[in-house]
Amino acid sequence: MLCEKCQKETASVHVTKIVNGEKTEAHLCQNCAKELGEFGLNIDLPNLFASLFDYAPFSGKLVRPKQCPTCRLTMEDFRELNQFGCSDCYETFRDEIEPLLRRLHGSNHHEGKVPAQGYATLSVERQIRTLRERLQQVISMENYEEAARIRDQIRALERQSHGEGK
Amino acid sequence: MSKSWTKKDGPQGDICLGTRIRLARNLAKLPFPATANRDQAKQVMKTAKELSGGLDQLASFRFLDLAEVDELERQILMEKHLISPEHTKKTSNKGLILSENEDISIMVNEEDHFRIQVLMPGLQLNEAWELANRVDDLIEANVDYAFDPDIGYLTACPTNVGTGMRGSLMLHLPGLARINQLGNVLKSVSQFGLVVRGLYGEGSESYGSIYQISNQVSLGHSESDMLEHLARVAEQITASERQARKYLQEHNLPESEDQIYRAYGLLAHARIISTKEALDLLSTVLLGIDLGLIHDLDRGLVKKLMVEIRSAHLQKMMGQSLPAQERDRLRASLIRERLNR
Repeated sequence: MLCEKCQKETASVHVTKIVNGEKTEAHLCQNCAKELGEFGLNIDLPNLFASLFDYAPFSGKLVRPKQCPTCRLTMEDFRELNQFGCSDCYETFRDEIEPLLRRLHGSNHHEGKVPAQGYATLSVERQIRTLRERLQQVISMENYEEAARIRDQIRALERQSHGEGK
Repeated sequence: MSKSWTKKDGPQGDICLGTRIRLARNLAKLPFPATANRDQAKQVMKTAKELSGGLDQLASFRFLDLAEVDELERQILMEKHLISPEHTKKTSNKGLILSENEDISIMVNEEDHFRIQVLMPGLQLNEAWELANRVDDLIEANVDYAFDPDIGYLTACPTNVGTGMRGSLMLHLPGLARINQLGNVLKSVSQFGLVVRGLYGEGSESYGSIYQISNQVSLGHSESDMLEHLARVAEQITASERQARKYLQEHNLPESEDQIYRAYGLLAHARIISTKEALDLLSTVLLGIDLGLIHDLDRGLVKKLMVEIRSAHLQKMMGQSLPAQERDRLRASLIRERLNR
């Protein structure tokens, strides 16, 4: 049997290595085994996503980090795990995710398949959420006239979504 | 590779060994598998088990709780590309829905709640997508998916968000490898928004000049646009592989013939052989058959050997788990037996 690396010398070393429970094996000649030290280089990129954020590690003041109300994930956790905890994370971190999606996919808008069921309701829910956020803003600006108008819109949408739910 | 993958060659089967479509889907209102607690994970398993019964208009399916499947069987599922390497490791509340001929598989509680996968021989992106789409429709009729009208299907990793789709083609490119053009071709593939991987997906090494190419982007285009793009790039690659093979035949015949028959000779006589060496040599012999240089070997037999010689398959054949050195000896004797028959 020939060395798996150089394919020239006869393999005389059998290397077995277990990393994170994953077993890898190689048959090498003595020169290649020496050269490789053990099994070449493992380059780890745990923080690939972090590089995609405009991320300032310390802003100078202490702010409690935003947390997903459903699964308690923070953006800090996401940077570590490279995964979200639940589908609500996408809503919680929408502002952070949109630029990320643009960098990953060159787009932040879905063009493909849409589930046949529940799509209309989903879209109404989203409108309601946006209006609620807007409502908070106008109330904090003490624009009560506008607030009343938005509240009516929300009620109308809620009636619509309940009607569809039946 | 699944039964359906190795059985027939399929369109463009001399270069494109197989097509895979994967859809990542999650249930609404339940955390993704990595953060779900035990009860929530169980709930996903229960839903999956119920769903597997509702898919019978497509094929006959069975539901596997991976905790009840022994390690060797799980390795075999991986070697057939029916589950990912990750899905063989932790088994608690992990499942698999599998069609009888193994062309449809759904991993349960992998990175996402469901990973629907369709495998077909040769280049059949549209056919595989149509089937995956039907499976998806049947599931969706019974559950609510995590979906956002703006960004599509929501997945644990934002790289899969949108369509949740990845289309992959498994390409055998020994010709390009021999004329040292593989690097160039694969580099241009990545410039077209596609990813190149080894035989077992993410992070895996290429064995036997077999490469997987797939779409990198899952958001911003429709499924059919993405697949059309993938198909066009694949067409270019297969065309250059054919050119490379023609070049070998016209300009490099004695050397190619020598390499091919040396590979054949080694396979027919070696006593100890690793998976990688065996796959590389089998790939060379397959090229020999495709170039019309080897006449006395059945192409199907060589393709089948490319799966049978993988470690778990060998151990299953022997009915027991074996140390690596013994596997290498057994592999060599299996190959000898098949080739000298």
